Amino acid sequence: MEFIFDYISSNTYWTILLIFHGLLAIALLGALTHQGMAVLLPVQRAQPNAAFVTRFRAVQGAGYASAVCVLWVITFLFGAYIYTEYRVSIRIPIEQQGFWKTLGLFELKEHLATLGLGLLPIYWYLWKNAENTSYHSARKWVTVYLAGVCWFVFLAGKILNNVRGFGS
Amino acid sequence: MSTTTTIRPAASTSKSLASSQKFKTFAVVFGCTSAITYVACDLMGWPLFSYHPMTNRLEWFRVPPRRGEGPVMYWYGWIALSLLCGSALGFLATMLPKTISRKIPLALVWILPLAAIPLLFYSLMPFWTR
Repeated sequence: MEFIFDYISSNTYWTILLIFHGLLAIALLGALTHQGMAVLLPVQRAQPNAAFVTRFRAVQGAGYASAVCVLWVITFLFGAYIYTEYRVSIRIPIEQQGFWKTLGLFELKEHLATLGLGLLPIYWYLWKNAENTSYHSARKWVTVYLAGVCWFVFLAGKILNNVRGFGS
Repeated sequence: MSTTTTIRPAASTSKSLASSQKFKTFAVVFGCTSAITYVACDLMGWPLFSYHPMTNRLEWFRVPPRRGEGPVMYWYGWIALSLLCGSALGFLATMLPKTISRKIPLALVWILPLAAIPLLFYSLMPFWTR
């Protein structure tokens, strides 16, 4: 990996990875928000002239399941790799500045992202059996849980990056 | 011209997993036990290994930071241990008779991770109160 630093600086490298991590998180957030809305406020069939929010809720949630699992895993792996550099270059200066609650928020983000990772197999199974009505409640709440976690994780990462990003 | 339908292996595997009762049992037990193990690892401080990011050093179980080698990270070790425990127990659960495995409440898969949040929040108390 060291050869990369012959062409770009360390800060540029980590910033590029962080941007990819953020873009993947945005795709995941969009998919899970659609799914979450679809299970919380289901719409049987949206009319062509339906309002934006109605059309937003009218997606076929099952079609997102595999993509959500793949995106969660890839985003998680990116985050886990970036975390090594964060621990040395970002967290230590933030500790010195005394932003303890921001650091706590970030630690909670890492915990929740891991809990979400453990839920992916059952989430995938429940959505692949979307026609089974006995799974309706579990499918709904697992999806809402993952969507909620995804929003928290995204916002916590954004706040931390605002406090101190790579290269700052 | 003959018309035969070819099922792609990946799609076929995905379909068989989605209809497998054993996979469902594995996924339910994996989801529950990985959450429980992760919280236990965090609260008790039980990583499978420790990682020193400044020197790329990996050591088994929990070790304190080494002098002059920067901080030590346990998070990867917690994830590894909780995923291993979840996988092992999930695999063992697939060997249970169907009459027993079907009695595992499906609601646990979201109730347990939800209940884990206040515990994880509590484990971070030094950050909130400093």
